[in-house]
Amino acid sequence: MPQNSETKSLPWGLTPGAFAAWAAALLGLACILLTPVFPWLVKWPAALTLPMTDWIGSVVGWFLSVLKPAARLFSAGLGYPMLWANWLLTATPWPLVIGVVTAIGWYLGGLRMAALGLGGLSFVLASGYWIESMNTLALVAVSVPLALMAGLSIGILAYEFPRVKKPVQGLLDVMQTVPTFAYLTPLLFLFGFGPVVGLIASAIYAAPPMARNVLLGLERVEDDIKDAAVMSGGTRRQQLFLIEIPAAATQIMVGVNQCLMAALSMVIIAAVIGGFNDIGWEVLLTMRKAQFGQSFLAGLVIVVFAMVIDRMSGALAMERRRYDLRVIGLLMAVALLFTLLMGSSLPNPSDYAAFDPTAAVVDRALGDFTAEYGLALDQLKNTILFYVMLPLRIGLDNAVLPFTWGFMWTPAMSMIFLAVAATGGVALFLTGRRVAGAVLLLLAVTVETGVAELPWAFVIGGAGLVGWVSGGRKLALFAASMLALILVSGLWDRALLSLYLSGVSVLACTAVGGATGLLCAVSPAAWRVVRPICDMLQTIPLFVFLIPVLMFFQIGEFSAFLAICAYAVVPMIRYTRHGLINTPEEMLEAAVSSGATGWQIMREVRAPYAVPTILLGLNQTILYAFSMLVIAALIGTTGLGQSIYLALGKGDVGLGLGAGAAMAILALVADRLVQGFAEEKRRALGL
Amino acid sequence: MNDRSSAPAAISCKGVWQVFGHNPEQKLKAALERSGGDAGSAAANLRKDGLIPAVQDATFEVKEGELFVIMGLSGSGKSTLIRSISHLIQGTAGEIEIDGENILAASKKRLIELRRHKLGMVFQHFGLFPHMTVAENVAFPLKMQGKNKKQRRQRALEVIKLVGLDGREGAFPRELSGGQRQRVGIARSLAVNPDIWFLDEPFSALDPLIRRQLQDEFLNIQATLKKSIVFITHDITEALKLADRIAIMKDGEIVQIGTPAEIVLHPVNDYVAEFSKDVAKGKHARVSMVMDGENPVPGNMPDDPGLRTNMTIDTALAKCMELYEPVPVWDGEGKQAGFVHPSELAAALQVEAD
Ligand SMILES: Nc1ncnc2c1ncn2[C@@H]1O[C@H](COP(=O)(O)OP(=O)(O)OP(=O)(O)O)[C@@H](O)[C@H]1O
Ligand SMILES: [Mg+2]
Repeated sequence: MPQNSETKSLPWGLTPGAFAAWAAALLGLACILLTPVFPWLVKWPAALTLPMTDWIGSVVGWFLSVLKPAARLFSAGLGYPMLWANWLLTATPWPLVIGVVTAIGWYLGGLRMAALGLGGLSFVLASGYWIESMNTLALVAVSVPLALMAGLSIGILAYEFPRVKKPVQGLLDVMQTVPTFAYLTPLLFLFGFGPVVGLIASAIYAAPPMARNVLLGLERVEDDIKDAAVMSGGTRRQQLFLIEIPAAATQIMVGVNQCLMAALSMVIIAAVIGGFNDIGWEVLLTMRKAQFGQSFLAGLVIVVFAMVIDRMSGALAMERRRYDLRVIGLLMAVALLFTLLMGSSLPNPSDYAAFDPTAAVVDRALGDFTAEYGLALDQLKNTILFYVMLPLRIGLDNAVLPFTWGFMWTPAMSMIFLAVAATGGVALFLTGRRVAGAVLLLLAVTVETGVAELPWAFVIGGAGLVGWVSGGRKLALFAASMLALILVSGLWDRALLSLYLSGVSVLACTAVGGATGLLCAVSPAAWRVVRPICDMLQTIPLFVFLIPVLMFFQIGEFSAFLAICAYAVVPMIRYTRHGLINTPEEMLEAAVSSGATGWQIMREVRAPYAVPTILLGLNQTILYAFSMLVIAALIGTTGLGQSIYLALGKGDVGLGLGAGAAMAILALVADRLVQGFAEEKRRALGL
Repeated sequence: MNDRSSAPAAISCKGVWQVFGHNPEQKLKAALERSGGDAGSAAANLRKDGLIPAVQDATFEVKEGELFVIMGLSGSGKSTLIRSISHLIQGTAGEIEIDGENILAASKKRLIELRRHKLGMVFQHFGLFPHMTVAENVAFPLKMQGKNKKQRRQRALEVIKLVGLDGREGAFPRELSGGQRQRVGIARSLAVNPDIWFLDEPFSALDPLIRRQLQDEFLNIQATLKKSIVFITHDITEALKLADRIAIMKDGEIVQIGTPAEIVLHPVNDYVAEFSKDVAKGKHARVSMVMDGENPVPGNMPDDPGLRTNMTIDTALAKCMELYEPVPVWDGEGKQAGFVHPSELAAALQVEAD
């Protein structure tokens, strides 16, 4: 929040919010009007563009080539445990593997988990993807211990040495915002082609959640427990390993769960590198061949896998009963007996294809469906594309064409449109709705030019102003300078395209997720339906989202949009509901005793109180949207995601890292801006 | 409640300060310079600067075998004081000696040594290890001492029995009630048989009945083990019942140190008086405190209700209901120790701050 001294000097007694909104709107208007005269307001002159991706490429490239011999050695070394894990999982007769997993399930969560393990793996077996799944599992089995060790060490380090805590946390933040694909390129360069890269990438991706939870868990151990360990005469190491870490076990297990899920997700994404006959590769392959039935099936196998791993490791973090260990012995005995009895007549798991007919049916049904409703689907897609997405992307002036809207947009229309918006804005301003007036004008400017063609001065200035309102001068400077960095790097156009697609998706998620969250807040019945869907959506690895949208809408921006929305809508729903539900009881009672109706309470009490929480949900939604954006590049989006993906193909380290960094910057700036608002609202409510 | 003023000191604190906040050492030094060494105004200055002087200029001794109680309102710095004595936090200024050893100068190794063998502590919020059973919790300090499994088990069961938890040694802390957890904490601190025992509100989680019972057990334990004890409470009845001496803290400052009777009968200010306001003073003050032992005994005292020096004032008053002349007071060996006027006995119960 700006200091009082700053607010005092604002003209016409404007609030900082209104002031910033008007300044941004007028800046935008000025830019539009001046563009014909100064075209460099939109297009940053090439002469002033610094070849930053090249620089990154050569510096990092040099650095990497120094590391390369060591890295190659490391990857060769890592190849062995991977081979062993792979051999162990594929060579072990499948009844034994199923038996072990079922036994683990029993140990962790009794009958329910055992049934989940048995059912899940039986499904995998029947699908005929047994070998592929075991290959994937082998990758996870090697990368997770690496990630756990790394995460544990980083967490402990940050906890033990307060001085490194801040930088470590910053690093973890960045690691979580840099898109996964971005560091595949340098890793490929370092470690060479092959599954080891996927393994290392997934270990890198999965370590931060573990580190975070370890740190959080250790910090949350009660002071008296720590003191008791000291007073018992333990050395520092004894205190840490005998008392503090075990006492933080629950939180650390949450970390293990998140680590496993992240590793699985990344292992599957890393399949794009290829070279390993795993289940992610299978999805990719069938998707490319448009065999959606098969692809759907493989996707389902991944989801089942994710569910089994998630629920079982989730049980680690809960208070557990002890289950009868004899059952484990029994299960193992049955599995062993079964294997021995069947002997050499044990069927080869790859021969199973119980669902192949299903896949064929899905394919046929899909074919029939698209034949029948293809037109309607196309119409839906085109409507949204032409009337919402396209104008937002390239502006009314370019999107309104005779064959879409039925007429041609002319410069005169632009003038009229802007003039009407400006008049409306001023009218709103004069009638006291000052912020609303500015917002109307801002929207008009954006729709008129389109996000992808917004003048850079407007974007950077606007971000600075928003930063100023949300977090004061420092945040303003941070936002503006970070964006300026993208501007001069030559990645600006692509960044705007990414901004546009994530922006549209976030808008849609906010509307749909907010409404759903509201519905779930008022109706427990609705929540009973929505909740398992949310759980499900959060368990599914990112990659799998692409399958269903492709089935219906083919490759293109619209499919990407849907995939992003499906993934990013969940936090919005959860946080909105959570915020609206958790109003303090005494506030509600006060409202009821003042005679407020249900909806009045919702509007006057619950909603304002929920704002900080909902803003945090928005923040999460934005971060989710950015992480999906890169994955969605696989099915045809333009922008930074595409660049990262291309860089991967070409082995262009500079472009990959540069575009990844640009993406991370967008995400970080958005994150800080929204966090700033949430923080301010929380303070205003005295939370 | 015997006199220990000649016994050697188990703990000795001189001018101990514990200031929380940014750069406390420098700020404290500067504040003391500005106030010319006056602790009160230095503390006020520190507070103005946004620091928290949780303990200011604490100076006192705890004798060997003494049960020293610290009392004060919530936030007055009691826990902080014993945490700096046990060196759980680094004191800001002052000297602390345990059995004559300057522990601020002690090496890490020496501190671990001391904690393993000499110091025991019961924590306000128990501080039980959630992943260990009762027996494992209690045996943990023994494990740190390097005792083998069998010895640990045996000793743990011994102390568990002492606090009346036998049969629950296999339970986890989460399966116990608040009072039971409290006892586990006590048992754990007793396991290594420490010479010096810190207890931070050890009975606060208990209902009054169990509390009284545990206090009695505690006095029994102390009668046999004779440890030097620092005991925190904010219950005055508990303090009066247990203490050899009581220190009263207010906003980090020790405002009075004295025997229970001194605290009750001669509070130094209203803050101290307020604590003992509702206490039945006659039960805690003894005849010796009001009798005249110096002036010559008056020649004729017609009545002798048989008052003794260690009788409580309540009992004494009951014996002199009908008497209006001075009466003699006898000591434990039957010699005349002095005399007292019955009206003085009654007046002693109407206490105002000195
Ligand atoms: N680590 C710390 N950092 C900053 N301030 C602290 C810290 N520990 C204690 N304080 C402050 O020191 C003051 C004294 O706290 P302390 O815990 O010693 O009080 P107490 O007398 O034990 O109270 P209670 O009866 O509630 O346990 C309080 O104002 C507290 O906020
Ligand atoms: Mg305390």
